[in-house]
Amino acid sequence: MKKILFLLAITTIGLTANAQKYLTREGFIKFYGSTPLENIDAVSKQASSVIDASNNEIVFQVLMNSFTFEKALMQEHFNENYIESEKFPKAIFKGKIEGKVNYSSPGNYDVKIVGTMTIHGVDQKISVPAKVIVEKSDIKLSSEFTLKPEDYNIEIPGAVRDKIADQMDVSVKCLYKPVK
Amino acid sequence: MKAKLFLLSFSLFSFSLFAQDDLLDLVEETDPKEETIYTTATFKGTKIINMQSCEIPGAGVMQFIIMHRFGALNDDFMYNFFGLEQASTRFSFDYSINDWLNVGIGRSSMSKTYDGFFKAKLLRQSSGGKNMPISMVAYASMNYNTTRYIDNLPHYTTDRLSYSYQLVVARKFNEWFSFEVTPTLIHYNLVETTTQNNDVFALGFGGRIKLSQRIAITGEYMLQMPNHTYLDPATNTEVNFNNSASLGVDIETGGHVFQLHITNSRGMADPEWVGRTPGNWFDGDVYLGFNISRVFTIKKPKRAEEPQW
Repeated sequence: MKKILFLLAITTIGLTANAQKYLTREGFIKFYGSTPLENIDAVSKQASSVIDASNNEIVFQVLMNSFTFEKALMQEHFNENYIESEKFPKAIFKGKIEGKVNYSSPGNYDVKIVGTMTIHGVDQKISVPAKVIVEKSDIKLSSEFTLKPEDYNIEIPGAVRDKIADQMDVSVKCLYKPVK
Repeated sequence: MKAKLFLLSFSLFSFSLFAQDDLLDLVEETDPKEETIYTTATFKGTKIINMQSCEIPGAGVMQFIIMHRFGALNDDFMYNFFGLEQASTRFSFDYSINDWLNVGIGRSSMSKTYDGFFKAKLLRQSSGGKNMPISMVAYASMNYNTTRYIDNLPHYTTDRLSYSYQLVVARKFNEWFSFEVTPTLIHYNLVETTTQNNDVFALGFGGRIKLSQRIAITGEYMLQMPNHTYLDPATNTEVNFNNSASLGVDIETGGHVFQLHITNSRGMADPEWVGRTPGNWFDGDVYLGFNISRVFTIKKPKRAEEPQW
């Protein structure tokens, strides 16, 4: 009996000691929306993200004005008229990785990421597919999903409705390093 | 009993290790530097009305501006249909070589003037990592007047030249209010009389109030110190020109900005509107007008590339 209790206590300590976190500041995010009149195509390589391997929690944040467009005027309109980046400077995601990922053994894991996306000051629950690639010490994560501007109260006036797609394809690619 | 105590103490110990911070705090804490956020869209257009704003088009972007001023409102109001029968125009092309330098050429119908200009961003308003309360832009233009002489006197080519130099100091106070102060110097190589000054110093004030995402009210005033003069042929005396004052509305529609306004300046080249504005607001000697700008992306900007994996 004593032995079992002792073992139990030791394993509890052992679990807490393994709380490894992974971080990136150069996460790549792209969103794309096309209509016959105009393609919207914006990229940022300044997304920050952290994965907590102990409980599968994951967070993202990106400065809205770090997105660059092919047309400078489109970028100005994005920040000034649509996303209102002075009022809402960041997009933030907080959630969990659902699915089995073994952070200590290299391999590919197909998972689901579930949580709350905050864009333009509006919270939306989302659930998106993602792929986690565990390498020797690093972790790669990629995901593709769609977002609708109207879900985030981003108003598109009638005059330009034909030019702005009503949903954006988002792709995310992050390379994480362990936090020491 | 001993065993139970042992277990209890261990589990308490392990719980204390679980003090979980918000993961986003980790991003902030370990960030080596705070991000600098540059202020954008202090004004919608590169001109407020006639005055330069602190804006230039993005790098690699060419801009075409058509400016138009109708006839005076007080000139036989209904007979001339609010002055809409007459027109004074200016066309200009400019191009931003990079994100701080813009060069251009223009042609104004008043005095048949050709001009070349450059506009350079010296300071950019920003907050966060780097804090800068104002934007500052240097602007200079050279103007060549091609009106035929009527005085039958010998003239040099340089007689036709005049220059304008401006420093635009602007601040976007908040989302809906921007204001700028523009110290200006105009130099005329040739003036009408020997007593007239070749240099005109002026201080410009311009601002905008945003009413909605796409509509803004604009205004500008150019205070000459002292006023430039002209020779009144009737009395053969020198009379002061007026200061240029304009009120307008900016309407933004996707690829271009419409600017509708009322102004007492009919000319649009700098030597005309800054120093040679004859119209008087209080006599109704004002003009309806508009500016339309259209931009073309010539060179696509360099952007982050997608990682290849």
